[in-house]
Amino acid sequence: MALLEMQGITKIYNQGKIEVPALRGVDLTVEAGEFTTIFGPSGSGKTTLLNMIGCLDKPTAGRITFDGQELRELDKKALAMVRRYHVGFVFQSYNLIPVLTAYENVEFAIRLVNKYHKKEIRDRVLQILDAVGLAGLAGRKPNELSGGQKQRVAIARALVKEPKLILADEPSANLDSKTSEEVLQVMLKMNQELGTTFIFSTHDPRVMEYARRLIEIRDGLISKDQRRESEDVSD
Amino acid sequence: MFFLSKLAFKNLFRSKSRTIVSMVAIAFAVMIVVFAKGLIEGMIDSVSADHIHYNSGHIKVIDEDYYKRERLLTLHYPVDGFDGQGLEEMITALESVEGVEMVIPRLKFGAMVSTEEELVAMNGWGVNPEQELAFTDLEEFLVEGRMVAPGQQEVVMGTDLLEKINCRVGDKVTILFNTAFDSLRGITFRIVGRLESGLKMLNEIVFYLPLDQAQKLLYLDDQTTELLLVTADKKLVPEVLPRVKSLLAEHGDERYQALSYRETSDLIPLMDLSAVIYNFIYIFLLSLSCIVVVNTMIMIVKDRTKEIGMMSALGLESKDILQLFVLEGAIMGVIGSLAGAVSGYLMNSYLARVGFDYGEALSGISSDLIFNTMIYPVSSIEVSIFAFVLGVVIVTIACLIPARRAARLEPTVAMREG
Repeated sequence: MALLEMQGITKIYNQGKIEVPALRGVDLTVEAGEFTTIFGPSGSGKTTLLNMIGCLDKPTAGRITFDGQELRELDKKALAMVRRYHVGFVFQSYNLIPVLTAYENVEFAIRLVNKYHKKEIRDRVLQILDAVGLAGLAGRKPNELSGGQKQRVAIARALVKEPKLILADEPSANLDSKTSEEVLQVMLKMNQELGTTFIFSTHDPRVMEYARRLIEIRDGLISKDQRRESEDVSD
Repeated sequence: MFFLSKLAFKNLFRSKSRTIVSMVAIAFAVMIVVFAKGLIEGMIDSVSADHIHYNSGHIKVIDEDYYKRERLLTLHYPVDGFDGQGLEEMITALESVEGVEMVIPRLKFGAMVSTEEELVAMNGWGVNPEQELAFTDLEEFLVEGRMVAPGQQEVVMGTDLLEKINCRVGDKVTILFNTAFDSLRGITFRIVGRLESGLKMLNEIVFYLPLDQAQKLLYLDDQTTELLLVTADKKLVPEVLPRVKSLLAEHGDERYQALSYRETSDLIPLMDLSAVIYNFIYIFLLSLSCIVVVNTMIMIVKDRTKEIGMMSALGLESKDILQLFVLEGAIMGVIGSLAGAVSGYLMNSYLARVGFDYGEALSGISSDLIFNTMIYPVSSIEVSIFAFVLGVVIVTIACLIPARRAARLEPTVAMREG
């Protein structure tokens, strides 16, 4: 069974009296364990599509099924629960809480998920920070970390609760090429080791190089959907 | 919940100056509330205590007709026992009422002293000195000499009255008064003590003499104008008063009235009303300080819009976000209110010792009014706790406004606008 199925997704924003269509009937299926990139020019609908997938927004029309569950039927609270337990987010500008340490930022996400004991939480957080290469930096606050380190904390925060899907919106936009490469390597490693599904939105060619599947979106429609063989992909 | 509380607490340090300004505003308002409530309670306590001590006792037994003409100090309606059988039996009966600890007779009458320039009007109070010293603050007010002694033709007067009649302690003074038979009489007394208090009445118009002397000179043997009943606490009056009334009814003498201290005072009900009104003023004061807090919180919500979006994305529900911001405001409320309550307590503790002298401001009030011009604010833990709780509750409620705004933000809008 596919992890995500989208059928005829339309999203129209109302700007005053004007209707602005962001998505115009998108059909998309994502299998568990995919490492997918959605790319396209600014304003093409990438972020809107990611918001729909991440249960942050509801479509104007169409049907989304996530892990066998029809999202249209869910209320605000139930959507928050889907995000809490099954979806991780990595943002372009990291969005870490500045008063919390790297450890606490990661702990914040796992605390919301009531399925771990206290000791288990500590072990998991330290383990995931170790996995993203931040073993010795757990006690540092975001202002004491570099851009790449902050993005690693964000990845650890998204991964710590073992979600089925991680959505990354322009994860390399604020990083230099070396750091960007390191961060992508971390995500790829997590995809391979944990089987977590990753969907990126980007227009960074470096990110595209890593993707197993490339989806191009233009004017609110999928214009290209290409699966790549392993030998065509950086790893 | 614990993690949200921890985060809310840490968030206070993100903009220290804003947090400090908000807390100072709360602390200042709470301190003013503690001070104002302490002052009002001090005033009410003082007015009640002085009225009880120098006018009514906890319960006053008085002739109905005398009560109607009390200001005239008539001697035609004395308390002379049940069916005129004398005071002693009546006092014994009243003392046996459950809850009555003491029965104090007072014989009040009008008098005057002639000086070279004028005729000075005054009120004579024939009292049992031992009981008066035990029940009132006279010992404290006696700044010179001593209290009158039974069987002696002597008086004690206030400083201002002595000044008016150009006399000092140790001098002799001839006082003119009407007897119970309306005959004019003049008797010379030795002045044995001088009183000084915040009560204009005691300072300017009252002189004390022994009850036995007053009864003898006024031809009111075994009679008095009023009996003051003392209970262990003024709060007991509602339960003791009906017992006293039924005792009076049992003896079938309908001349006498038993009145609680509240019934005989014009000021106490006014003070009680002002205490209620002041409760609204406290809320208003704290609400004013909340403008600063709400403003700070609105700025915080604006600054953290993107973070709110991120938290929604992580799966925080609207109620969690509401809780986070309310907690942040509540912590400011708790710290600010605690600082205000403690500083208000310390301020009142100091002022409760030194007091406020309203003498100048109240110089024009009637000497008949029993109002102490020295006001001592009440310094009590209860007042501080009241202000603290009120501060925390009002600030927390006020924080709901910006917190609801944060909780209602749509995650996509928050992340786009942040």
